[in-house]
Amino acid sequence: MTDGRTGVRLRALAGLVVFMFAALTTRLWFLQVLAYDQNAKSASENAVHLVDIPAPRGRILDDRGNVLVGNRLSLQVRIDRQVIGDATEGVLFRLSELLGVKVKTLVARMDDTRYSSADPVPVAVDVQKRDAYYIMEHPKEFQGVDIAKVPVRTYPEGSLAAHVLGYLSLITPAKLADPSFAGYGQNDLVGQTGVESVYEHDLRGTNGVVKYRVNSAGRNLGEIGQVNPTPGNDLKLTIDANIQRLAEDSLAAGIKYARTVPDSSNPTQNLHATGGAVIVMDPTTGAIEAMANYPTFQPSIFVRSITDAEYQSRFSASTNYPLLNRAIGGQYAPGSTFKPFVALSALYRGFANMSTSYPCPPTYMVPGDPNKQVFSNWTTANLGYMTLAGALVRSCDTIFYPLGYDYWRTYYPPTVPPHEPLEKDLGSDGFGEHTGVDLVGEQPGRIPSPEWKASIHEQFPKSFPEGQWFPGDFVNMSIGQGDTLVTPLQLATAFSGIMNDGNICVPHVGLDVQQPTGKVVRNIRSHCNRTMPYTQAQISYVRDALAGVVSSPSGTAAYAFRGFPFSQVWVAGKTGTAQVFGKQDTSWFAGMAKAQGKEYVVVAVVEQGGHGSTTAAPIVRHVIEGLYGLPFSPFAGSVAD
Amino acid sequence: MDLVSGRAFSAERRPIRHLDPVLLIAAFGLSIVGILMVYSATHQSLAAQHLDPALYVKKQTTFLVLGAVVVMLAATFDYRFAKVYAGLIYVGMLFLLLAVRTPLGTTVQGSQRWFQLFGFQVTPSEYMKVSLILMLAAFLSELRGQERTLEDVFRATAIAALPMALVFIQPDIGTTMVLAAVLVGVLVVAGARMRHLGILALTAVLLIFGAFQLHIVKDYQIQRLISFADPTADLSASGYNRAQAEIAIGAGGLTGRGYLQGTQTNLDFVPEQHTDFIFTVVGEEFGFVGSMLLLFLFSILIWRAFRIAMLSRDPFGTYVAAGVASMFAIQVFVNIGMTLGIMPITGIPLPFVSYGGSSLLANCACVGMLLNVHMRRFN
Repeated sequence: MTDGRTGVRLRALAGLVVFMFAALTTRLWFLQVLAYDQNAKSASENAVHLVDIPAPRGRILDDRGNVLVGNRLSLQVRIDRQVIGDATEGVLFRLSELLGVKVKTLVARMDDTRYSSADPVPVAVDVQKRDAYYIMEHPKEFQGVDIAKVPVRTYPEGSLAAHVLGYLSLITPAKLADPSFAGYGQNDLVGQTGVESVYEHDLRGTNGVVKYRVNSAGRNLGEIGQVNPTPGNDLKLTIDANIQRLAEDSLAAGIKYARTVPDSSNPTQNLHATGGAVIVMDPTTGAIEAMANYPTFQPSIFVRSITDAEYQSRFSASTNYPLLNRAIGGQYAPGSTFKPFVALSALYRGFANMSTSYPCPPTYMVPGDPNKQVFSNWTTANLGYMTLAGALVRSCDTIFYPLGYDYWRTYYPPTVPPHEPLEKDLGSDGFGEHTGVDLVGEQPGRIPSPEWKASIHEQFPKSFPEGQWFPGDFVNMSIGQGDTLVTPLQLATAFSGIMNDGNICVPHVGLDVQQPTGKVVRNIRSHCNRTMPYTQAQISYVRDALAGVVSSPSGTAAYAFRGFPFSQVWVAGKTGTAQVFGKQDTSWFAGMAKAQGKEYVVVAVVEQGGHGSTTAAPIVRHVIEGLYGLPFSPFAGSVAD
Repeated sequence: MDLVSGRAFSAERRPIRHLDPVLLIAAFGLSIVGILMVYSATHQSLAAQHLDPALYVKKQTTFLVLGAVVVMLAATFDYRFAKVYAGLIYVGMLFLLLAVRTPLGTTVQGSQRWFQLFGFQVTPSEYMKVSLILMLAAFLSELRGQERTLEDVFRATAIAALPMALVFIQPDIGTTMVLAAVLVGVLVVAGARMRHLGILALTAVLLIFGAFQLHIVKDYQIQRLISFADPTADLSASGYNRAQAEIAIGAGGLTGRGYLQGTQTNLDFVPEQHTDFIFTVVGEEFGFVGSMLLLFLFSILIWRAFRIAMLSRDPFGTYVAAGVASMFAIQVFVNIGMTLGIMPITGIPLPFVSYGGSSLLANCACVGMLLNVHMRRFN
């Protein structure tokens, strides 16, 4: 216990503290009780006006750093629907006069329901500076109209690689509710398809904000803070702009050529060649160097907001769906391009060997079939005896049909569900499932199975009247017909396995993510974990046979590749002609090329393009010529599977 | 000894039996109020930056847990050891204050006060407060007699002047004021004569005047002092802070606008609101009633500190407790006073309530020492 005098001093000090607390209390009473009205009024008059400073989105570059998607500033005319009020009619009329846009169009854009009523709606983009200034100088005539300077996407290469790049549009309510899109606002643009969507979080920057203090009349009382925007990261692609251009030009030229060729099964009309795709891929890494689609589109269209009617007229059935990325989202029967994989499975399962000669008659019938259903070869000629390699070179259907029947005989009903060996082997080649490419809208294709057939029959008994699995299902699958579907990318990926000694890489279009300064933030690695089950001998046997398809005089693509300098560039491939009910045949060619230390897999598909050797093979030849700097030869196809 | 209670003598002597739960509850209550207020002040602006709205709250809670450990550590050993090591701690802290001036320290908003350590800011001046209390108490408790000579007063002042000068040039006028208040508080209790304190005050005034003349004081500090005199002079600059703080508190009225409902708070009108201006959140969202409750909690804290100063068995304990009481009192008064417009704006945290790890840990050390003195008052 302290002595008396210290106690007195402590009390004095405490008294001082009491005095200080009393002062605080008095002042609090004054501010909070006596001056409450004044302060509450001041607080309610206080308002902050936040203005976003949009962050530039990262650019998209090709593998050598060429800009495929950049940014520029665009002047937008926006209408605030809460402010325009009664003046709507006059304002819209004056805007229409000034900008040369129909009032009807302006109304349609203004009524865009995707914007909240509190936010201004852009009704015209890329407005002339002169017009923008006129609007700003006449605020009374343009009540509720403002001009915003916003960064928008620019496409220096036009429509090049449009399907890979994708485009931006207003965020959908579903994405807005998605936790991975936390921090996005209702009026934010997000990547809808392509790499713009897949790499959204890399490309998007962080918006900055300027904070103004305004009084109750809305008068600006000065800036009270600013947060600078952080630009998004750039995305470098494996796409090479030159190869992409080559692929697109070859596809378009091939389609143009096909439309001059009569349909061999109905010579009264030419091939329609309504659409197609070309893929150029590096089999050693899975890097996609080109992915071309036909028809295509200008991604710059989406820079301005597009009305529903315009969307319908541009991008629906009448124009054959130009937004569809056929290379990954188009599912087609593979036809004979499937045979190399059936051959590999047959060798692996012991149904065929490398040296036996098999007959190649014009027709085949499943032994003991009570319906006596006839399966025909693609040609009515009897081609005599040939090895399995020969059957690939000449694409003999009637040698593959019995192989299909062998799977039925040996493995049906399957002892190891859910997959019997043919389905299992094709699955390990990557068919029937997504490749995992870094793009949106990939389809899985289909390897039919007894379970699938039963369930689809149950769901759609009219379209699929038969639910039972027959030998014919295997027979059809052996030549890539029936219910078998693949995407062009699946086929390219599977061929890369043949090219790459059975190792399959996941195809990808992203190479790395870089800061605006060029510093690499993240490499997008190749994943090459998938291995085909076949032996090296079996794979090289098939690969050598496929070289004969183009270089042997009897090969189905011999005519398309006539005069090709095989001594300079090793080429192999497989034609495919897939029948589609009610339409002309789908033309396929899957090619492999190797020279100058660089390997490629090139796949072309053309809807209603006739035989594989007619349309697709010349396209692939044209691409390979361009890849290795060979002189281009004119398009010329033949009629062979 | 209280033999009437019937407890065994040995049990009576165990320090743990003499904890001061009231002090602990007050400090803990203030810390909880602080965490709630920090959330209110920061959650919206953090969310606007796409950060975790509870980011600061989580950090502060982590510090509170650390703080509990510090309280225990500071209370466990016998406080008289602190008297032995006070000089060592004092020199160490001085060294840190010097080091923060080197490129090791981080400059924020024109003042160099922190070390950046594992993502946390370590502010040596906060720990200097504690160290100075120990050092002064140790020095003055060694003197004999009831009255202090002028020489004693000046020697004590010299001890305080060193860290004050180092903190002043950071520049951190607020902490300099706190150190001065600690000095005066301990001197008063230690028996300095009024006349000597008067001489001390006169010297201080002359020094401050000199500092202005030699432009040691930074421009913005002068600005803040001018705006203290006339808050309406320049709304956009430093007077803005003051005006907005007063509006925020005043708009709270008698009972406040409700938790997380303050518009001044939500829209960030008050700058540095989770740190120095945290009281504006209490004022706006809980009104006069809430403000008085907070002041009540502080009164209990300071009352217990004075009570412990009275109960201490030795002068060292008395001086330590008195120093802590002075430190808490001056911080509460200057911090709340500046938000109310009756004190100039200086960067002083509100003890236990403002966001900031160093401040919280230093305050916890003080509470630990108070407990220490209280627990060992019989042995």
